Amino acid sequence: MKSHPYLRAYMAGVLLPSWFLLLVLAAYLLIHFTGRGPAGMGSAIVFPMAIVPNLWGLWNLLYTSLGLRRRVSIGAFGSLLPLILVPAGVELASVLDLSFYTLRQAAAILPMAMAIYYLAWKYAVAFFNRVVEPR
Amino acid sequence: MNHDDRELEFIRKQLRSRLPPWNGPELQVDLWPRVLRRLEESPVTFGWFESILAGLAAVTFAIFPELLTAMLYHL
Repeated sequence: MKSHPYLRAYMAGVLLPSWFLLLVLAAYLLIHFTGRGPAGMGSAIVFPMAIVPNLWGLWNLLYTSLGLRRRVSIGAFGSLLPLILVPAGVELASVLDLSFYTLRQAAAILPMAMAIYYLAWKYAVAFFNRVVEPR
Repeated sequence: MNHDDRELEFIRKQLRSRLPPWNGPELQVDLWPRVLRRLEESPVTFGWFESILAGLAAVTFAIFPELLTAMLYHL
């Protein structure tokens, strides 16, 4: 189990947002079929489906490949990811003309996202990393 | 050879017959550095800082539920 360390790191990073995607999809379907959702929800699903899980995987790959384990806590490193994701989300929302996600909301959500990401990375991703690391 | 020695010899033979010698391959890696690394790792705890973060997030979403959609967008 010593081979492919980057693939294992990537998979450990991708796992949690992929599971959470089921909840996001359920919420999306609920909003879609009740017809009470904001306009452009169909386009918005691209972001949590394609970009978020891959960035989590790449972020964890970066954490592993740069050997940051002994210098930076994984929770702190994970909490920095919204600094990339939130502006990327704003940019995508503006390109797709999504009215429900504005710059003001992005600014409000950024500290919350960093806090939630800190917890998710400290407990979940760290656990997955321990599971896939060579014994 | 007294009675105790014979008894010990009997037990030794029985144990050897039940536990055949290990013929598998030798372990290729030294496990001790990994044991030390595991011992160095601090145990995962849910401290006051994490409690504050979780509480703040819960309170914020309770007060401003419209932010939940934006949060789902990033998960």
